[in-house]
Amino acid sequence: MTPRFLKPAVFASAILLAACSTTPTTTPTLDQARADFVAANNNPQVSSYAPLQFKEASDALDRANAAAAKKESLNDIDRLAYIAKQKIATAQEIARAKAAEANIADAGRQRTELTLEARTAEAERAKREAAEAQAAAAAAQQQAATAQQQAAMAQDQTRMIAERAAKLEALLVELHATKTERGMVVTIGDVLFATNQANLTPNGMSTLRKLADVMAQNPERTVLVEGFTDSTGSSSYNMDLSQRRANAVATALSSMGVPRERIAMKAYGEAFPVAANDNASNRQLNRRVEIVLSNENAPIPPRAASR
Amino acid sequence: MDMNRSMGRAAVLAAVLALSACASQKAPATADVAVSRNAVANAVQAGAADLAPEEITAARAKMMRANEALAAKDYKLARELATQAQADAQLAQSKAASAKATAASNALNEDLRVLRQEVDRANSQ
Repeated sequence: MTPRFLKPAVFASAILLAACSTTPTTTPTLDQARADFVAANNNPQVSSYAPLQFKEASDALDRANAAAAKKESLNDIDRLAYIAKQKIATAQEIARAKAAEANIADAGRQRTELTLEARTAEAERAKREAAEAQAAAAAAQQQAATAQQQAAMAQDQTRMIAERAAKLEALLVELHATKTERGMVVTIGDVLFATNQANLTPNGMSTLRKLADVMAQNPERTVLVEGFTDSTGSSSYNMDLSQRRANAVATALSSMGVPRERIAMKAYGEAFPVAANDNASNRQLNRRVEIVLSNENAPIPPRAASR
Repeated sequence: MDMNRSMGRAAVLAAVLALSACASQKAPATADVAVSRNAVANAVQAGAADLAPEEITAARAKMMRANEALAAKDYKLARELATQAQADAQLAQSKAASAKATAASNALNEDLRVLRQEVDRANSQ
């Protein structure tokens, strides 16, 4: 590599050139030493880790080559070549040992690095797991809160339904409603109308307002307004009167905020009397408007055929 | 090892002093043999008997012959053999040292490989 180390090689080629003219003076040991020298010279570890030993070996080979050039006895050349060969091998071994030692030092460094890396990874994993656990806990808490909220909402709804039912019940009691198969029936008696007219008295209006409240609080219920009269007078007159009275009730409810599509209407004239038309008070009972309040989300079944 | 070396040196010095009066060839030969003996001892201490048996055997054989030559007053041969024994012993010593260092290095590399595998496995979990 360095010119210094090339010297024996130059020497060797000089000997080879000289050999062209004369018999080459060499021995198997010298040949071996020269070959070993070339190998050591090509080994970068030797130049970096055993430069002194290699210099010594190189000098020893120089001496052997010089002896060969001077055509000294084969025994002497062999002896010097042997020393050179052993020194070259020694330089190789020292270089190998130093390289291994350098590797040992580096392995220690790598080990430290690796241990650090492992600890860092472990710490990061622990951190990540902690974060995941925290997130899971937060999610569980969130879920619990949501469930609680839903439960509270359900409870609220149940209470609201119960309250509304109680309120409805109370109102219907106030309105003297009777429970029938078709639904609750509120009867607007004759006294709530002006005589022979379809106008409602203030008492009649007040009854209807309560009913309108019930309707407002129970949007899933509908009403059927049915008008009836007694048997006095012509049936066409009675049909007309019952029609007008039912109409008046429907219009009044509508004016109190009940949507028209929730109000059905039917006039029956003197049909379906609730009492015999044999005296004044019974006839008054027959002159009436019945308001059937549907059950929740259920249509009002029609009246059975005339009795 | 240092003790051995200093003892060896002292021996060499003693030999040189003791033999200074003798023939000119005798003293250096004796010194060379002493140095070689020291080199062989160092190699043995480094574990050459197990790790470089061929070289240490050669060194010992040459040492023995160098001593014989010394006894026979063949100082030139004694020096030559001592020099060769020294080269053999140094090779034996360096060979033993490199064998140990290489083994240690390989063991460490294997440890490192296993550790790296463990870390990688832990990381991939």
